[in-house]
Amino acid sequence: MTIEQETGEAVATPAGIEEQLVSYLEERTKARVTPDQDLFRSGVVSSMFAMELIVYLEKEYQVSIAGGDLKLDNFRSVAAMTSLLLRLRGSSDAVGDA
Amino acid sequence: MRSAMPDLTAEDRAFVDSLVGDQPAGWDVAGELPDDVLRKLGTRGLLCAQVPTAHGGIGASSRSNGEFTAHVGSLCSSLRSVMTSQGMAAWTVQKLGDSAQRAAHLRRLTGGQLAAVCFSEPAAGSDLAAMGTTIRRVGDSVVVDGHKKWATAAAYADLLVVFGRYEDGAAAVVVPTSAPGVRVERVIDPLGCRAAGHAHVRLDDVRLPADSLLGGVAQGLPLLVTTALAYGRFSVAWGCVGILRACRTAAAEHASTRQQFGRPIAEHQLVARHLAELYIAEQTASRVCEHASDCWDAGSPEVVVATVLAKHVAAGNAARGAGSAVQVLASAAATDGHVVARAYRDAKLMEIIEGSSEICQLILAEHATSVR
Ligand SMILES: Cc1cc2nc3c(=O)[nH]c(=O)nc-3n(C[C@H](O)[C@H](O)[C@H](O)COP(=O)(O)OP(=O)(O)OC[C@H]3O[C@@H](n4cnc5c(N)ncnc54)[C@H](O)[C@@H]3O)c2cc1C
Repeated sequence: MTIEQETGEAVATPAGIEEQLVSYLEERTKARVTPDQDLFRSGVVSSMFAMELIVYLEKEYQVSIAGGDLKLDNFRSVAAMTSLLLRLRGSSDAVGDA
Repeated sequence: MRSAMPDLTAEDRAFVDSLVGDQPAGWDVAGELPDDVLRKLGTRGLLCAQVPTAHGGIGASSRSNGEFTAHVGSLCSSLRSVMTSQGMAAWTVQKLGDSAQRAAHLRRLTGGQLAAVCFSEPAAGSDLAAMGTTIRRVGDSVVVDGHKKWATAAAYADLLVVFGRYEDGAAAVVVPTSAPGVRVERVIDPLGCRAAGHAHVRLDDVRLPADSLLGGVAQGLPLLVTTALAYGRFSVAWGCVGILRACRTAAAEHASTRQQFGRPIAEHQLVARHLAELYIAEQTASRVCEHASDCWDAGSPEVVVATVLAKHVAAGNAARGAGSAVQVLASAAATDGHVVARAYRDAKLMEIIEGSSEICQLILAEHATSVR
């Protein structure tokens, strides 16, 4: 687990998270992605893929995305996902001890 | 006392076996599951075994709960359907609810209360975006109005998880069936899973405390539905593995003992082919389900598509496999209540629910084009 934890530490800055998300999305969708692009409107992401993103984010960043955070707007862009992650990682509230 | 290692055990299986016994045929013909069987399984946490121990559940892995679901499915698809509803309700509360809602409702779902999940409506089957049920906030209350169709287990349920439109999006509310304005109308003579307690539900100006609204805010309907269905699909898929196991066992047993033209019918090649196909169907369905569960347990993003694949493969295999099993048993399986007759009727419905075969194919096609 140490390698994974180190990776987690290394990308815990907004820029690091954005960069990692962009490369994950580009790898997965074979399309160019920019941090502010609306992923739903541009058709890059469907609601099934949004579910995939949720599972990916939960595992990769050790957060639990539940309750009111499960709205598409939180996954609409790389920037939105980044701010969600920063918020969830900052709070110690056990939302989603799922 | 359960052991320190949270998971399902051989005792859990034996407990189910002793409660179920040889009754599923009678339950099918009567169209009713005994209330005490459901409550006993519920109180032991077995109807939604993945609920974390912190909330009174067993905390089973997806793989272990899947195997258990298949076992129950091999005995009685009606009972397995009740598990699917209960598990889907619990998963929805776990994912959409805040911590107070999780604490309150998951205790009830592992404490003997029963739940059903309501998406479908007269005008919203495959197309859930056409949902017309409304949830409104009025002062300290939420008010629910709508007409839901075909909710599995609703006839037995204490709680309904009801999806509807809310503000500029959608939401799910937890509705006690005892609340004024709730009417549960049983589906008479369903084609299959006859004892699963399917019901249509009318919600007429149902007033509930505001904290009945899971998560407390409006969310996007597609994501809400996809979240809830994730569990339902995986549970139906494993249930179909159970159907296939029961069919393979019954067909193999019958073909080895029934003699025609001077030998066991298994020795006639055209019958042997049915047995081979049943075995193939069971094994391939098992493997795709195991894969989906392993993705779930590992937290792999692939779980999303793997679950749809598992549901699609297992339901199709079960419907075809049950047809083959009826063919092999012939008149021996041609009465209602027989395990293979039940499988034949139950399996067909598995191609319709939780995303019909066509809807699964559309999702899989979209995935295929997105991963070029
Ligand atoms: C036994 C049983 C249990 C159920 N349990 C529940 C439950 O617990 N909770 C709940 O909310 N609902 C439940 N349902 C309802 C179930 O979810 C719906 O029946 C299902 O979603 C299909 O909707 P429909 O029956 O209205 O068929 P329709 O949506 O009218 O579909 C009819 C046919 O058209 C096909 N079709 C529709 N749209 C498309 C498309 N775009 N492309 C290709 N083909 C298409 C479908 O695949 C199907 O073959 C249950 C149903 C049954 C039979």
